[in-house]
Amino acid sequence: MTSPNALADTLQTVELADGVEIQLRVAGPAIRSLAWTIDACIAIACYIAAAIVMGMLGVFGMENVWEGALLLFMFFFNWFYNVFFEMTRHGATPGQRFMGIKVASVNGGPVRLPQSLIRNLLRFIDFMPAFYLFGFLSTLCNQRFQRLGDLVADTVVVYADPKPANPLRVQINATPQPSPHPLSRPEQAAILQFIERAPLWSDDRRIELANLLSPLTGATGPEGLRRLYAIGLYLRQGHPSKKS
Amino acid sequence: MTSHQFEDENNHRWQRLEEVIDAVETKQPHEDIERLPTLFRQICHDLSIAQHRLYDSAIIDRLNRLAIAGYRTLERRLSGGWDRLAHLILREFPQTVRQEKKLFWFNTLLFWAPFFFFAIWTPHDPEWAMRLLGPEGMVSMESMYGSHTSPQDYMREEFGSNFMMFAFYIYNNVGIDLRTFAGGLLAGIGTLFIVLFNGAHIGAATGYVHHACNPHTFYSFVAGHSAPELMGVVISGMAGMRLGLSLIHPGPHDRRTSLVLGGRRALLLILGACILTSIAAVIEGFWSANPMSPWIKYTFGAIVWSLTIAYLGFCGRRSHAA
Repeated sequence: MTSPNALADTLQTVELADGVEIQLRVAGPAIRSLAWTIDACIAIACYIAAAIVMGMLGVFGMENVWEGALLLFMFFFNWFYNVFFEMTRHGATPGQRFMGIKVASVNGGPVRLPQSLIRNLLRFIDFMPAFYLFGFLSTLCNQRFQRLGDLVADTVVVYADPKPANPLRVQINATPQPSPHPLSRPEQAAILQFIERAPLWSDDRRIELANLLSPLTGATGPEGLRRLYAIGLYLRQGHPSKKS
Repeated sequence: MTSHQFEDENNHRWQRLEEVIDAVETKQPHEDIERLPTLFRQICHDLSIAQHRLYDSAIIDRLNRLAIAGYRTLERRLSGGWDRLAHLILREFPQTVRQEKKLFWFNTLLFWAPFFFFAIWTPHDPEWAMRLLGPEGMVSMESMYGSHTSPQDYMREEFGSNFMMFAFYIYNNVGIDLRTFAGGLLAGIGTLFIVLFNGAHIGAATGYVHHACNPHTFYSFVAGHSAPELMGVVISGMAGMRLGLSLIHPGPHDRRTSLVLGGRRALLLILGACILTSIAAVIEGFWSANPMSPWIKYTFGAIVWSLTIAYLGFCGRRSHAA
């Protein structure tokens, strides 16, 4: 439905090997920063806890061993915290899970160990010169909000569960009517989405949007909205007399 | 056919797939688990139809979600584990180092040229080396290798401090390797800078030892771990430059593809470099500081150098029979 030159969109279409197109909802820098902040707090808490534990163990002797253990802990935590959690079946760190996002391959598959290693080792560059400036600029420069590490690892951060199905089913009272002009597929899709979402809006808003289509419906105000509904219902279920 | 009819007609299949995916996720047996690929293909088909017929977004969303979940479940693979690691160490890594010959010699030059320059120049004119090392660096050099020391001194008292130094070398040296690799993403400039600086710094330390300390103590200390450690520096430079070159000289691919492909190769190199540096950390932590006759240490160092070179030069070469 979307052409390759479509506007920037958080829905990214990916074609699977089976020839079907799936849509990934990529996560933007804002929600990722929040997830990162949570992870950073977890990291600080873990460092403090580890330092206290190792310090207390040091009281019983062998301070050097505990100091060494703390250094090793810091090394692995620093470089491989994300890798560890991305390799679980959730594909997300605790912060990312809390925000409802996860890491995936660009093709929608699960992130693999080499990809995870690359994107997290390169995090060092994304962080530069301070607080992910490079990473942030990179997310703004491509359609999939990829930071530099994501670009090299061929990964994206996506919403873990695409938005839940909307159970709202409101009966729209109008007699299905065909459109006076032939409609292209994107136009049909737009009208179908309009009648799907219209029940969520106020009357004024529906009429305001329907007025934009007055060249098609040939009317404004409530009458325009009614005609738009009629076209939409026709697109959705066909003419009442026609067998579906 | 309207959305609802389509949904009613096929709902049982979609629910079946949902159940199978749940079962796989929670590692429980399910009677239809063998049918997962079939169910997945049907979902893909249904999704295409729903997209084509502009069905309700609720249905398309649900099918989209199922297709993604099914794809992820099918694509889930257990990583190779120990076999994979052995393959990496014994074949892929040394093979990649040999394939990237130009990068190897480039980084060797990049590291060893400033090393030898400072090592040879410093005894004549220690000014630059002193600047590079800083007062603290000079004090620690003198306390370790000063002219009052001899190679046979106890350099560390107990196991605990050996372990601590080992941990420090992992933390510090492997950390530098990883940064050298990551620096490649700045068009290779980060890598260039780190490797050059590393060569200059280690060269200045060596030169300073000749100027003010006891070289015998120094060389017998570094003999054992120098081979894997310095090779680790050079190869992490290769990893960074591989990444940087993929960025600035993508060759036949577009830049994004070139980066992805270069990243994979670079990852092999940096993983190998980290393994070498970790081996160096073990040797430096538990062997190098032991009070032993320097000749034992030199012999050991010579053996480690030959092993390292033989490993990188010959390991994983295909035999003629194969």
